[in-house]
Amino acid sequence: MSAPSTALPTPLRRSKWSITKGERKNILIGLAFISPWIFGFLVFLIYPIIYSFQLSFTRYGGILPPEPIGWANYTRMWNDEVFWKAMKATFTYASLAVPIGVVMAMAIAIAMDQPLREIPLYRTVLFLPSVLPLFATSFVFMVLLNPNTGLVNQILRSIGISPPNWFGDPSWANFSIVLMAQMGAGQIALIFLAGLRGIPKHLYESAMLDGASWAQRFRNITLPLMTPIILYDLIIGISGGIQVFTQAYIITDGGPARATTYLVFYLYNNAFRYSMQMGYASALGVVIFLITLVLAGVTFLTSKKWVTYDLT
Amino acid sequence: MSQFTHKRVNRRSVLKGAAATGLGLGVASSIYLPTAFAMQEKRQVLAWTTHGEPDLTALHTIVDAFNEQSSTTEVTLEKVEGSETDSAKLITAVRGGTGPDAYMLDRFVVAERASSGLLQELTDPLTNAGVDPDLTTTYLPFAAAEASFQGKPYALPFDADTRGLFVNLDMIAEVGEDPARFTLDADPLTWDELKEIMAKINIEDGGNFTRFGFVPWHEQGWHYTYGFSWGAKFFDAEACAVTPDEQAMVDAMTWVQNYANEYGAARMQAAVFNPEGSPPTENVFLTDRIGAMVTGDWFFSSINKYKPELNFGVAKLPVPEAGMESVSWAGGWSWVIPYGAKEVDGAGEFLAYMAGEPGQRVYTKETAHLPTVEALMSESDLFDEAHAKYAEVLLPLSTNRPPLPVGGKYWDELTAAYQAIYLGESEVAPALESARKNTQDVLDQYCPID
Repeated sequence: MSAPSTALPTPLRRSKWSITKGERKNILIGLAFISPWIFGFLVFLIYPIIYSFQLSFTRYGGILPPEPIGWANYTRMWNDEVFWKAMKATFTYASLAVPIGVVMAMAIAIAMDQPLREIPLYRTVLFLPSVLPLFATSFVFMVLLNPNTGLVNQILRSIGISPPNWFGDPSWANFSIVLMAQMGAGQIALIFLAGLRGIPKHLYESAMLDGASWAQRFRNITLPLMTPIILYDLIIGISGGIQVFTQAYIITDGGPARATTYLVFYLYNNAFRYSMQMGYASALGVVIFLITLVLAGVTFLTSKKWVTYDLT
Repeated sequence: MSQFTHKRVNRRSVLKGAAATGLGLGVASSIYLPTAFAMQEKRQVLAWTTHGEPDLTALHTIVDAFNEQSSTTEVTLEKVEGSETDSAKLITAVRGGTGPDAYMLDRFVVAERASSGLLQELTDPLTNAGVDPDLTTTYLPFAAAEASFQGKPYALPFDADTRGLFVNLDMIAEVGEDPARFTLDADPLTWDELKEIMAKINIEDGGNFTRFGFVPWHEQGWHYTYGFSWGAKFFDAEACAVTPDEQAMVDAMTWVQNYANEYGAARMQAAVFNPEGSPPTENVFLTDRIGAMVTGDWFFSSINKYKPELNFGVAKLPVPEAGMESVSWAGGWSWVIPYGAKEVDGAGEFLAYMAGEPGQRVYTKETAHLPTVEALMSESDLFDEAHAKYAEVLLPLSTNRPPLPVGGKYWDELTAAYQAIYLGESEVAPALESARKNTQDVLDQYCPID
C-alpha cells in the first residue's frame, strides 16, 4: 500500500498573460474610450515616422514619385559641413538652455512657494510670460535686444557696460536665444511648485530642530526629493532643445554666419526651400529622432544613480 | 364676402392661365437663363500671392479688372504665408490636393521649383490663351530666361526691379562733396571713392555711430551685388559647376571684409539695425541715419509715401576700378500654374492678363516696380520722371542671378559665407570654398543642365 500522499493539491495557477472574461471586457471598453487617441497616434505620429524613414532612402521633392537612392542621403549627411554646423549650434543651444531652464524653473517655483498673502499675484506674474506664444515672444525680444534702441542695451550702457549686438553677433546669437527660452520657464515651474509642495513638512521641521541652515535643507531635502521632477524636466527639455526652430526662423534666419542654423531649421530649409531635398530632410528627421531617443534613454538610465524617490 | 369667391373657374380659364404663364416663363427664361448659365459656367480660378501691402492692393485691382472683362473666368486672389524662397504653404497644399490654380513666385526660384515637379509647363495653357510660349518675343531677355527651365516656359515674368545707389544729397553737401556726382548721368564712382566720401558722413558718439555713411551689406548690398560688380559669373554652364570661389568674387569679398575691419562690423551693424517688422517710416535712410545704400527701385514709393521732402539722388552702382562699366542685377516675380491646378486653361487666361500688358501696366503705375513686357518700357506715362530715368539707365546695366535648380541653396550658402566674411568669422577663400562645395554637392544631382 502506498503511503498516502502528503503533497498539497496544486492550486489553480493562472498564466501571467491570461485574463478573465470580465477583464477582457474592461480592456475592450478602455480601448474603445481611448480609440480616438489611438487613431490619432497611429495616423499622425506612427505613420509619418515610418513614412519619413522610407523617404529618407529616396530623392524626393514632394510631388514627383520618390526615387530610391539607398543610403546616399545618410552618407551625404556624414560629409555635409552644414549638418555638422547645425549639430554644433543645436547642441550648444541645448546644453545651455536645458540646465539654465532647470535652474530658472526651480528659482521661480521657490519664489512661487513663499508664504506671502499676495502670492497668487506673484504666481500669476511669474507664470504669465510662459503663456505667450514663441512667435510673439520672438518679436518682443527683437525689440528688447535691439542693439541701438533696445531697453536691455540702454540699461547696460547706463551702468557703463558696452552691450553686445545680441542677434547680430555670431558669438552672442545662440546665447540670446537661450535667454529668450527662459520666458517659457513658468510652465515647468508650475510642476516644480507641485513637487515642492509635495515634500513632507516634517522633514524640514526635523532638520530645523537639528539646526540645519536654509542651504543645508535645500541641498539635503528639497533637491533630492525634487529629482524625479528634474528628471522629467530634463527629458522634456532635451527633446525641446534638440527641436529648437521658431526663433531661428523668425529672428535670425539661421544666421549670422550659421550661428543659429539649428538641425530642425536646416531640415525645414531642405524640405521647403530647396528643390528635391525632401528625402534628405527626412533623413535629417530620422537622425534627430535617434539623437533625441539616445539622449533621453541615457538620461533615463543614469537617473537610477541620482534620482531619489524616497528619503526614508 | 369677396366677389371672387363666387367666380367660377372652368377648364378653359385654367388652360388659358397655364398657357399665359408658360409663355411668360418661356420669355423670361430666354432672357435670364443664358446669363445665369454663363455665370455658372465661369471657370473659378484660385490665385495665391505672398505679397502684402501696398502691392496687394494693386494685385486686387488687376484681379477685379480681369474679372470684369472676362466672360469665361473668375479669379479669387488670396494672400498666403511664404517668402521668396519659402514655398512650404504651396508645396503642402499641392501635395494635399488643395493647391491654387495660379501662384505668384519669385522668378529666381522658378527653375528650382520646376525641377521638383511643382510647376506645370506652360506651352499649352499659354497657346490656348493666345500668348506666344516663346517668352523672348514679349518679355525682357533676362526675365524670359529666369522664367524658363530646360528651354521651356514654366512662368510668365511679372515685375522687375534693379539695384542702384541711393544717396542722401543733404549729407553729401554738408560734408562738402559735389551732389552732381550722385546722379544717373554721372560716371560711376569707384567703391574706394565711395568709401572715402562716406567716411566724412560718420558721426561717432561714445564709441557708437549715430550716423554712418555706407554699410556695404545693408539692404541690397548682397554678395551678388559685389560679385557682379567685380565681374563674377557664379556659374560655369559648361562644367555644370557653381563658381563662388572665382577670383572676381574673392576680390569683391576682400573689399567688403577690409571695409568691415576698418570700422568694426558690430558697430556698423548697430548703426543701421532695424528689427524685422519695423514700420517703413523707421528705415535708416528715411531717418537720416545713413548716407547711402544699395537698394531697388521699389524704394521710390517708400520715399514718395513716407518722406517726399527728402533730398536724395540715385547713382549707378560704383565700380572696382575707374573706367570699368557699372553692373547691377535685376530680379522680380512671376506667375506660375502649380502642379494639380484644377483650372489650367482658366489660370492660363488669367496669367496672360495679369502678367501681360494690362496687368503689368497697373502694377507698374501703382507699385513703382518695373515691367518685364518689353513694349511697356516705352510707355512714359507709367513711370514718374525719376523712375523712368532709373529704368532707362540701370536696366541695360543689369544682369541676373543664374537660374539654377539649386538657386535657394546657393543663395543661403553665399549668405552664410558673406556673413562669416564681413563679421570676421572666416577668411575669404575658405568661406567661399565652403559655399562652393556645399552647393555643388547638391547641384551634382542635376548635372548636366540644359
